[in-house]
Amino acid sequence: MSGQAILSSEEPLKPGQQRVALSDVISQISSMEQQNRLDEAENLASRVLAAVPEHPHVLHLSGIVLYRKGKIDEAIARMEKSIALAPNVALYPRNMCEIYRGAGRLDDAVASGKRAIELAPDDSRAYFNLALIHYERLELEESVRICDRALALDPNFAEAHFERAEALLLGGNMAEGWESYEWRFKLKQAEGMLPKTDKPQWDGTPLPAGKLLLVADQGFGDCIQFGRLIPWAAKIAPAPVLACSGDLTPILRQIPGIGRMVTRWELTGDFDAYIPLSGLPRLAKIAPGNVPLGEGYLTPNPELVAHWGAQLDRLVPKGKRRIALVWAGRPTHKNDKKRTLKLAQFAPLLAREDIAVVTVQKGEQITQVGSYYGNAPLINLGPDIADFADTMAILKNVERLVTIDTSVAHVAGACGIPASIVLPYAPDWRWLLGRDDTPWYQSVRLFRQQRPYEWGDVMERVARSLDT
Amino acid sequence: MLNTELCACGSGLRGIRCCGADFTAVPDATSLEILNPKAVEATNLFNEKNFRDAEALALKILDIAPNQRAALRVLFEIRRAENKPGVAEVLARRLASIPAESNAVAAAAQLHLAQMLVAQSRHADAEPAAQAAVKLSPRDANTHHVMGVVLTETGQVHAGERHYRTAMRLLGRDDGTVLANLAWNLKLQGRLDEAAGIYEQALANRPDNPRGIGGFAQVEAGRGRLPQAMVLLDQALATWPNDRTLRLLRALADLQDEQFDAVIARLNGPLEGLMPPELAARGQAAQRLGHITDAVAAFATAKQMQRERYGQRYEPAAFLQKAEACKAFFTADQMLNLPRAASGDGPQPVFLLGFARSGTSLLEQMLAKLPGFAAADGLAPVSALVSMATKLAANGAGADYPQVLANIAVGDGQMIPSQLREQYMANLSIAGVIQPDTKFIIDRAPDNHWHLGLIKLLFPDAPVIHLLRHPLDIMLSNFGQDRRLEANCGVSMVATARHYDVSMSMIKHYRGQLALRYLPVRYEPLVSDPLAVLQNIVKFIGAAPVKLPSKAALRINAFQPSPRIPAHVAVQQPLHERGAYRYRAYEAALPQLFNEVRPILEGWIEALGYGASV
Repeated sequence: MSGQAILSSEEPLKPGQQRVALSDVISQISSMEQQNRLDEAENLASRVLAAVPEHPHVLHLSGIVLYRKGKIDEAIARMEKSIALAPNVALYPRNMCEIYRGAGRLDDAVASGKRAIELAPDDSRAYFNLALIHYERLELEESVRICDRALALDPNFAEAHFERAEALLLGGNMAEGWESYEWRFKLKQAEGMLPKTDKPQWDGTPLPAGKLLLVADQGFGDCIQFGRLIPWAAKIAPAPVLACSGDLTPILRQIPGIGRMVTRWELTGDFDAYIPLSGLPRLAKIAPGNVPLGEGYLTPNPELVAHWGAQLDRLVPKGKRRIALVWAGRPTHKNDKKRTLKLAQFAPLLAREDIAVVTVQKGEQITQVGSYYGNAPLINLGPDIADFADTMAILKNVERLVTIDTSVAHVAGACGIPASIVLPYAPDWRWLLGRDDTPWYQSVRLFRQQRPYEWGDVMERVARSLDT
Repeated sequence: MLNTELCACGSGLRGIRCCGADFTAVPDATSLEILNPKAVEATNLFNEKNFRDAEALALKILDIAPNQRAALRVLFEIRRAENKPGVAEVLARRLASIPAESNAVAAAAQLHLAQMLVAQSRHADAEPAAQAAVKLSPRDANTHHVMGVVLTETGQVHAGERHYRTAMRLLGRDDGTVLANLAWNLKLQGRLDEAAGIYEQALANRPDNPRGIGGFAQVEAGRGRLPQAMVLLDQALATWPNDRTLRLLRALADLQDEQFDAVIARLNGPLEGLMPPELAARGQAAQRLGHITDAVAAFATAKQMQRERYGQRYEPAAFLQKAEACKAFFTADQMLNLPRAASGDGPQPVFLLGFARSGTSLLEQMLAKLPGFAAADGLAPVSALVSMATKLAANGAGADYPQVLANIAVGDGQMIPSQLREQYMANLSIAGVIQPDTKFIIDRAPDNHWHLGLIKLLFPDAPVIHLLRHPLDIMLSNFGQDRRLEANCGVSMVATARHYDVSMSMIKHYRGQLALRYLPVRYEPLVSDPLAVLQNIVKFIGAAPVKLPSKAALRINAFQPSPRIPAHVAVQQPLHERGAYRYRAYEAALPQLFNEVRPILEGWIEALGYGASV
């Protein structure tokens, strides 16, 4: 049916055309959107809009499609129009709230979120969306309060629990935060991270040697960060088996206390209980004041350090200070849009006369190096990096790492290598608030956004900090 | 029913006796003897200039026996005299392919074919025939002479020199033409002093050689003896006043001497009456006089002429395909799996990148004069290794470059990068580039940007220096040149801009996917503050501190005479800043000039930092 014209009811049919019910077309756009067939959905929506330009729901749907295609201004225009046409439909401001957040218009987002709740006071998702905005604005108590309202309506709303956890943890209320944090495995994206087993999650009580299964869940950064608690666990349940991805083995095998490492579920052997690494802080009752091993707990391989040292001596012009750089994260990370930058945004750093930039960036974003013609010599080492062992060894040969909040930041911190991390206004909970250091890594200095979504002055401060 | 349809090639023979003939069914040598008296008669008629009867008889003989050599030869000579190159080539190829009674006859046929193609400047096409002639008649000076011409004009200058010298040895006497060709070959090798000596011999032996005199004059100009060059050209022009090549060379000497009005006076008349190289010279003179509109008119006419009169077109398809293949293969992930060549102790190559007219030859020229530096001069480019790489890596299975390189990750393939690296160095040694004191080789092969992936495998740590210049200045400078560029992109400013985009995108890809030792160098500071730029480059390359020439010496571009002068810079001029941001004056005078290319180049202008503020 996608090849046929969409007609408004006044127009007579031409040969070969047939009238279709608007509701069918709308559900078709909707399902295309859900199947990520965005081009088709946009195409169909615009053909429908040509016939019924004032239809609020088509406007709304097409706005969501446009938003997902990155056409934010057009998306907002359509969705605002749909709200103006149908001011009492609760769904519109509820979604609008999320779109405004994505566009960085937090005041408008709050207003929309409140309006959605007004129109649908029993809609738990409307509360949740508003809670997200309050987190973004660092109104953490309000965020927790609104999450509680959502949870009163829907006690098993995993995302609301998780959002509540993040707000509590970011605010430093760790004990309560860790409890809510347990809901993370109920999130849709957590599927497959835990073994399929009827064994219980470990409760922190002693187990025989080799009977605890540790699971390196979540992102690489989390695994490195929480890996420091493996020795603590091994004291209670000796020689635990660690299940992790192959990328992490060269790093995590350095941590003392591990019995065996496996990269496939079928190799875990018989165990009595399992625990994800991200579950250890709760059991160990970690709070800002008692984080162990903040001085570092990983050591780069000396042979690799020597190899990369010689390599850098060849590649980096003599007399330049070596600053390592990572500007983009894994695109599938839920907050990647907020944290990932463009190489060019580091302009104040790249303008310095005294440095050479050694990029340890991996992944698709390395292509940005090709467009860099700036002042500081840039050595694109990413392509030659095989694994984190290489990254660690390279970082050992630079003065400092400048990075966004991504796994390499943890690699540096865990090695005790000086690092400057640039953080969004509302950062991930682990970086806490109002401090430029972190109990997790003593060698790390934090550079926070002063205003949401504004990186300019952050970069200036990072560049200037090299003077001191 | 007799098939009387004439052959489409235009020979005048029936198709079934010409291009459609079955040459397994023609008479053998014994049967052909019956026709010999008639063939002799046809040859005699031809020699008596009775062309019509000669042609008629030859056609009859060939209708009976399409492989009758003498008749075929007569028909070939007639068609060639009629200026029908297409059919003449068909007949020449047939003469070269039919069985001959002796090697000497076969060699002569091959030589004819080769000479005919050389006369059409189709040197690469002539190579197989020239090779066949040499192999059939290795003691014949002529075959070696033609082979020398073919090799020299296809860039294989060293092999060309060897054949010229063999030709001279076989002749056992001086021959003005061979000597002059040898001298031109040496000029292309940058061996200007030797070339001058040989030219003197050549012209003493055969003074009536305007091409030789022209070549000699260019050598003299390259040796900094502009007045002598002018005298040579003036004398030659007195003898051959209508020789346009000599006139152009004389005008170029004026241009070098900054006698701009004289250039215009020599190349006067309506623009349509001039040829593209003449228009380029006239436009450049106008440019130097500040007559921007005249300059653009001359340049534009030259480009239009190339397109309309000579039918030249921008042909990007093959290059776009190559770009796709290279981008698909040379990725960070793929490269991580491929072995690198073992590093060697010898001289280290330094690769220069840069679109035509970005300043790569200027930088090469400056670097080549520093102690320990030598210019590879495009004599042994990395691109020459591609066919060897393909053969070595193919491993029995057919695959194209670069995909075939995936095989080097397997088994003995691990050795291939080292083998190729050794071949590259060997090529440079043969070319005489590497001297005992050479530490760095400057390789500015104009196609380096295609081969950064291969370069990374062979020389993982080699410095790569990228010459950058304001893209509109690059467009303008190429607009004013009559040079053949990759994909024929010099035929219009838009084509140049498009191909600039293709080349820059290729470099951008490689920079993203490879850990390169990369230094961008800008043309503008290179001409305004060469010392600072050179210092930076020498430091980047990691050369032991060398004594750099003084600022003043750099400026007049006259420091440290070099034993070899890169061929393309045989004319050295003082450094100047006229070319930096020249586009501004042009755009002020002709606001529409860059309208078509700006949208193509905008992104690059911005990315390179030549945006609004500059």
